[in-house]
Amino acid sequence: MDALTVFIPLLPLLAGVIIGLGNFCGVFRGEAKEALATDISLWAMTLSCLMSLVVLGADISGKNTGAFDAGEWLRCDSLVVSVNFISTGLNVRLAALFAVLLAIIMRFSVDYLHREAGYFRFFFVFNLFAFAMLLLVLSGSSVMTFMGWEIAGLCSYLLIAYRYDRPVATTNATRVFVTNRIGDAGFVLGIGLSYLWLDSVNWIDIKNPSNPLEIGEATAIAFCFAVAVFAKSAQLPFTPWLARAMEGPTPSSAVFYGAVMIHAGIYLVIFLQALFEQAPLIMGLLVVVGLSTAVYSFLVGLTQTDIKSSLAFAISGQLGLMFMECGLGFWDIASWHLAAHAIVRGYQMLTAPSVLHHVQDNPIQPVSSFLVQSRWLYLASVQRFWLDQLVDWGFVKPIRQLAHDLSYFDGEGLDKIMGVSAPAMRAAASLAQLKERSIGARLDNEFDDFSHGSGLAGTLTQWTAATMHWLEDHLVLEGVSNRTLGYSRELGRIVNQVERRILRPRYLVLFVFITLLITF
Amino acid sequence: MNEASFPLLSCIILWPLLGAVVVGAMRDALLARKAGLVIAGFELILTSLLLLQFNPDDSNFQWVERHAWIPSLHVEYLLGIDGISVLFLPMTALLTLMAILASWNAIQHLSRFHLALLLALEGMTVGVFCALDMVLFFLFWELTLPPIFFLIGLWGIGAERRLAAAKYTLFMLFGGVALLMAIIILALNHATPLQEGAPQELVFSLPQLLKTPLPDHLQATVFLLLLLGFAVKAPLLPFHTWLPTVAMEGSPHTTALLVGLKLGVYGLVRFALPLAPSAAVEYSWALGIAGGVTLVYAALIALQQSNLRRLLAYSSISHVGLVVVGIASLNIQGIQGAILQLLNFTLVASSLMLVAGFIQHRLGSTEAIHLGGLAKVMPRLGCCYFLFMLASIGVPGTNGFPAELLLLIGALLSHSSLAITALAGAVLSAAYMLSFTRRAFWGEAGRHVNQITDLRPRELLVLAVPAVLVLAIGFFPNSVFNVSRTTAETWLSYVLDQQSLKSGSVAKDGVSESLQ
Repeated sequence: MDALTVFIPLLPLLAGVIIGLGNFCGVFRGEAKEALATDISLWAMTLSCLMSLVVLGADISGKNTGAFDAGEWLRCDSLVVSVNFISTGLNVRLAALFAVLLAIIMRFSVDYLHREAGYFRFFFVFNLFAFAMLLLVLSGSSVMTFMGWEIAGLCSYLLIAYRYDRPVATTNATRVFVTNRIGDAGFVLGIGLSYLWLDSVNWIDIKNPSNPLEIGEATAIAFCFAVAVFAKSAQLPFTPWLARAMEGPTPSSAVFYGAVMIHAGIYLVIFLQALFEQAPLIMGLLVVVGLSTAVYSFLVGLTQTDIKSSLAFAISGQLGLMFMECGLGFWDIASWHLAAHAIVRGYQMLTAPSVLHHVQDNPIQPVSSFLVQSRWLYLASVQRFWLDQLVDWGFVKPIRQLAHDLSYFDGEGLDKIMGVSAPAMRAAASLAQLKERSIGARLDNEFDDFSHGSGLAGTLTQWTAATMHWLEDHLVLEGVSNRTLGYSRELGRIVNQVERRILRPRYLVLFVFITLLITF
Repeated sequence: MNEASFPLLSCIILWPLLGAVVVGAMRDALLARKAGLVIAGFELILTSLLLLQFNPDDSNFQWVERHAWIPSLHVEYLLGIDGISVLFLPMTALLTLMAILASWNAIQHLSRFHLALLLALEGMTVGVFCALDMVLFFLFWELTLPPIFFLIGLWGIGAERRLAAAKYTLFMLFGGVALLMAIIILALNHATPLQEGAPQELVFSLPQLLKTPLPDHLQATVFLLLLLGFAVKAPLLPFHTWLPTVAMEGSPHTTALLVGLKLGVYGLVRFALPLAPSAAVEYSWALGIAGGVTLVYAALIALQQSNLRRLLAYSSISHVGLVVVGIASLNIQGIQGAILQLLNFTLVASSLMLVAGFIQHRLGSTEAIHLGGLAKVMPRLGCCYFLFMLASIGVPGTNGFPAELLLLIGALLSHSSLAITALAGAVLSAAYMLSFTRRAFWGEAGRHVNQITDLRPRELLVLAVPAVLVLAIGFFPNSVFNVSRTTAETWLSYVLDQQSLKSGSVAKDGVSESLQ
């Protein structure tokens, strides 16, 4: 039964490739072909769902050996990334749960997206996502899990930008992907550190290393993975992306943020229980972040007025509770919580569009009184604690400004210092100008200098000559005069300006960062 | 050294040169174009044949051809390939074929000359990859300049194309001086100076130079000179300003050739590190910092760009920084990742540049303000662009991922702060690529944009081949690593062994760890 695990993620991938290629080549176009695309996706998904149930059954009846190796993806010295799958325990159970949820939501989207412009695109991305998610939970190698992890993020990006002609959707999609990318960087660093200290990238060696990790090393690896899961599961510094991600069509919101993808983070923490238990500091971090996310989401959720946003904050709050359970050591509760939450939230998300119909006789409660009474808290809640603005102010804007400064420096400074400034180049470049000059049509007067050079060396010589000439002319011949004083005052002003510029916070932070990197 | 029974490498070098002459002499422009296509296609078949015949388990140079050229100076006509260079030959041929197809209708004026120059450039570039004699290498290296000079200056799309061509040539000549000096120092070091006349036993052949270790005081000089020469071409930080200019002024397929064929970094791997191994190990941190600074600096500037071609130029510079970080880590992961990433450039960076060219051809601009909504009007072009963009930011499933993974792990094993810098670069690369995609490809289509047509079959063919390769290498990266593994291992142990022989001390921690 172990070998079946390969086909569970593979089938949706095949379906996705067929639909994607078909749409690209113009085979799958128009309403008439919708049924065919639907059949392919549903058959693939149903088969993969059945197989995951069979593997689950085999696991419960104890027929699985636990691992299946399907070959090698990459080999470089002692770094061997194999395509292996885990066929027991949490992985199989979650795979079965996710496969069932994916199949249900896929069936739901068939009717929901009927006659939409991006019908085939949606199903291509959905299938790709199913592949990524099932690979993520079943893979026995951290690199393969990361592949699923990042492809799932990419699919979420593509579906947030499903209506790509709307500026809000595309801006949000970009923001979400870049935020997630920070988490991904943590994941890659975690893989790298595991290889560095454990000489393996397989989960089994990371969880049960042959020679135990020191506590510092375990903490470092666990911290990297913790950053990755916080980003993926929308925990505190990263929470705002979840509300932005609600831009996509409802079934995609349900499958990504209600039922499946958002739980990838908590899955990884539960799966890496053995690693996290070696790092008490990170366990504490899980509790702190989980609790604060739960409180934050609760407070913000109270004032949300649209159904998808309030669901978003409910989700991040519940996930915060799960992280807290993990941090406190209640691993079993956390995994049950995960499964229950995935099912309930998937259902809630799917029914979100018809919620008006559901609550006809049961109007939405007004904001609770304690929040209304405290004015500042209310404001903070409505503004979602200014998290997005804070990130913009402290992170995005300085980087943008730094980029702007560097861009200016590159064009105005570096390009000129390298000695090929435009006027000198023109002299060498265009013979036509020589002709123009000889007939008297002078284009520029910069060639009046007695000495004229091009290139780095030439310009340097020219400058030296000009400076010497200037010094001779102004200082030596005239002596120290009022003009010299004026120049020195001007120089002082320039130096002051430079200093002010350098003391701007973004440069200070940059210097501190560079110093840290060097000492690290 | 396995001497070749059949001079296949000479054929591969001479065939496009011969083709250039034939194409240049033809009267009919259309016939010349077709002939050029056939010649480039046959070159691709020849180089693929070479790759098939290549024995990846042999770390020595293969298909070696040796003839005396200038006997009085011991300059030889010495060609050969190994696991590092063999993969670049089919890539060069493929890229030239793509460039010819992409410029099929775009070049109306002097089209035969243009085609002849493209083929000549191909021959010279292949020569650079095959040459094992320093003088021969330098000859090919400098001979790539005239075709590029004319390609930029005559068929550029910007108003200041001649300026750009002159700028490129001046930069490259500057780098060439440093290279030439390094070559002379190397040759003189081997020679025994006599009292009168030219010194005897000058040696320019790479295999023999590798057997004569440099004295300590010359190592640093030679390494820095070679580094300077190759850094200009690569390009690394202070010497990169020619690339954005060329990207804006030159025609897109010429720029695609320039960003796709990273001769500078290849030279770094082939010559700079093995010829001055102890200096290379000693200064690997400096090389790494140069790479890291280039990586972040160019990524930040790319964030600020509003023109697709400039953006791609800076992103290419940023990726060169990452490759140099990998090379500087001096371990097998770093070097294997660097080789794969260099091959990725040929597929990804140049394809993106060709996409930019297709947009430029239709709209007359690649400024973000003139674009917008391209995905709706040109879904196929949008698809191809998106795939190459994902490969460029290293998303799993594309060829960028295995390369970046290895480069990062390599950097982590030797200089961990460089790995963190590289990760910051990875986040930034997603930011600049995606925010440009948002502005140019998404949103409402403007009036001008609405009138253009999607990719034509010829253009689709140009992009489909690299697209398939991008996915194929992404799913089966071992196919590339298997070719370069043995050579890379030998290369690495050579560089590190020289160091430990020379100083008698054990190399740095990171280095010795990677050897275990």
